[in-house]
Amino acid sequence: MSTAAQPYPFSSAAKILPPPATPPPAPLMQGKGLMQYLTQTLPSPDKQKLLTTYFSRRHPLRILPGSVLTVMLGHAPTTFSGVLMSVRRRGLDTSFVLRNVINRTGVEMQFFVMSPHLKNIKIMQRAGGGGGKAGRRMRRAKLFYLRDSPEKMSAISAGVRG
Amino acid sequence: MIGLKGTLNVIDNSGALLVECVNVLKQKVNNGWGSVGDEIVCVVKRARPISAAQSGSNAIKVRRGDVRRAVIVRTKKTVRRPDGRFIRFDDNAAVLLNNKREMLGTRIGGVVSADLRMKGWGKIVSLAPKPGLLVYS
Repeated sequence: MSTAAQPYPFSSAAKILPPPATPPPAPLMQGKGLMQYLTQTLPSPDKQKLLTTYFSRRHPLRILPGSVLTVMLGHAPTTFSGVLMSVRRRGLDTSFVLRNVINRTGVEMQFFVMSPHLKNIKIMQRAGGGGGKAGRRMRRAKLFYLRDSPEKMSAISAGVRG
Repeated sequence: MIGLKGTLNVIDNSGALLVECVNVLKQKVNNGWGSVGDEIVCVVKRARPISAAQSGSNAIKVRRGDVRRAVIVRTKKTVRRPDGRFIRFDDNAAVLLNNKREMLGTRIGGVVSADLRMKGWGKIVSLAPKPGLLVYS
């Protein structure tokens, strides 16, 4: 992702992407199919494309709401774990919200999947499993009711530690 | 988004429990709403009872009805980090200050947002408990 052939003469911090291997087709130069092209070419690391299987709608490995995830961030020295409350699927702007209770205070963080700061996602516990209270399938796509019921939060997190 | 009449929990050991916002200072760009790291003027609505022989810690104890300054450390409204993440807490919380932007209490009991460091409140961030400190910036 650094300056390939010609460095940008006006700024040293600008990122010059290397030109694509195959030249873009003619309809693309007129703007047809631009968003699909960007979705396939902009996220260059392959792990971003792998995450697209985690956050797709129908993939067998997709993460269901109610799972417990740990997110590893790039520059920040810490990680964040929490219960997946919602997945907002918007292609490149896909994001998800994790909720955790730290020192008796509920904290929610929204992470964007295609952000370069997001290094790794580890699944501590999947929802939608067969047996047990911890891995049961949630009947909602967005679990905002967890904000008002701490007992359900502890029921989910009890399955992770124990 | 803390404005007039917004209530906040107090998480230091200055004795106050609940404060109500009266004014948000330095409102050049926030249109009268305070967020994490903004200074506000507040009224103490509820405070811990002060026993007469309490001179152990040198934290200044406040009473109900005091008008003090405070800095917001947690908000229920999402705060955007520069890299695009959002963070949201379950309540609004503040730490009391005096007129010279120094803390009244000596300890902080609870999570604080790491955006405070970006706004220049590094002392508060360093006093927060370690597992409760969200160092994300």
